[in-house]
Amino acid sequence: MTIVEIVEKMGAEILVKGEESETPVKFVVSSDLMSDVLVVDEENILLLTSLASDQVLRTAQIVGAVGVIVVNGKPLPSSMVNVANDLRMTLATTKLSQYEACIAVYEILKQS
Amino acid sequence: MSDTTNETGKDPMKAAFPPPDGVQYEGQPLVLLELIQRLKVRDVMTKDPPSVAPSVTMREVQTLMRTQKISGVPVVENERFYGLVSLDDIIRALDGGYIDEPCADHMTTKLVDLEDDMPLSFALRYFDRYHYGRFPVISRGQRLVGIITQRDINRALLVELTNELNRLESQTTTNGDDPSSGLYVLREFPICKYDFENAGKAANQIKKVLQEKQFPSKIIRRIAVAAYELEINLCVHSDGGVLSWKIVNGKSEIVSRDAGPGIEDVEWACRDGTSTASEWIRSLGFGAGMGLANVKRVSDEFEISSKKGTGTIIKSTITLSHVTS
Repeated sequence: MTIVEIVEKMGAEILVKGEESETPVKFVVSSDLMSDVLVVDEENILLLTSLASDQVLRTAQIVGAVGVIVVNGKPLPSSMVNVANDLRMTLATTKLSQYEACIAVYEILKQS
Repeated sequence: MSDTTNETGKDPMKAAFPPPDGVQYEGQPLVLLELIQRLKVRDVMTKDPPSVAPSVTMREVQTLMRTQKISGVPVVENERFYGLVSLDDIIRALDGGYIDEPCADHMTTKLVDLEDDMPLSFALRYFDRYHYGRFPVISRGQRLVGIITQRDINRALLVELTNELNRLESQTTTNGDDPSSGLYVLREFPICKYDFENAGKAANQIKKVLQEKQFPSKIIRRIAVAAYELEINLCVHSDGGVLSWKIVNGKSEIVSRDAGPGIEDVEWACRDGTSTASEWIRSLGFGAGMGLANVKRVSDEFEISSKKGTGTIIKSTITLSHVTS
């Protein structure tokens, strides 16, 4: 299932549709610590985080993530949308908490 | 990367280049530094410049300057170099009313000259020290063989740098089927302290180059992670430094150099979970103390040398051959 389909099913909002938006998600990482994300050795990662900073997108790009969903309905700095566009990285937001978002994504992927 | 100075006002490129005391690393001189050592004054100077005999008048010298578009004329007879007439000498002759007198009487004779087999770096030092527009160049036999100006140096360096660039580019396709053969790329990125706005851009560029060259995705990821961790480390922990990256002989080499402050206990710093990062850094998602350990994890070879108070050099090597995606 792609990040776009997951975002739609969990009622989140897509802000930027990146070049991997149609790539099936293979692995999900939920973390606010980018150092943790960098040690994950998986392909086509979906990153769930409550950290709203440009470095989230740069980290996602380095590990080849398909996209990022920022949880807790956090207001995003405008630079984040610009960086997502530059990196062609899918960026979405949800009002769900990190815990709720993890459960939602788990249920959606289980049913697919 | 337009601003290459860090908050302390130091240029990280310059600050990071001298090796710290007691720390040895493979020297990677800038192409320009190598060039000014390799090139001799004779390679750069204008050979056999127009000259005049001592009996020629200052007015005739002035005419020669105008027609040849030059600003200094050596005075030579029977291969013996007597002096040099500069524009200043001509102006003084016009002011003093002796423009029709022989140049031998009014030329500059107290000259600083260069020998033709000196390295170009000598000439640059002379221009810096004496502020003259040109220097006569003499051979070992004390014969005038040329004149060197800053314009000659600029032109020669441009030609040599272009040749060097062509040489590097020609090596990028030594084997069309194997993108890891030969020297593929060489990049240097100055990294400024706490510049989070730009942190990650170097690793991003490295990743793009690797993707363009169609390296296997697993290799791209390892190199990108190493570059990113080292870049963030420079940004978070150093006073500014340089991240350099090259692919040579089937290996990717990333070197991180900084000018300080150095690591007190290198072994401790390389352990998982150890960090000196502040709360602010941690709030940005970094400083978990996993950076160096992660670089080590993705590298085939990992070297680190550091000295408290001077600087740190870290090298990550990743072999590119015999890999499949």
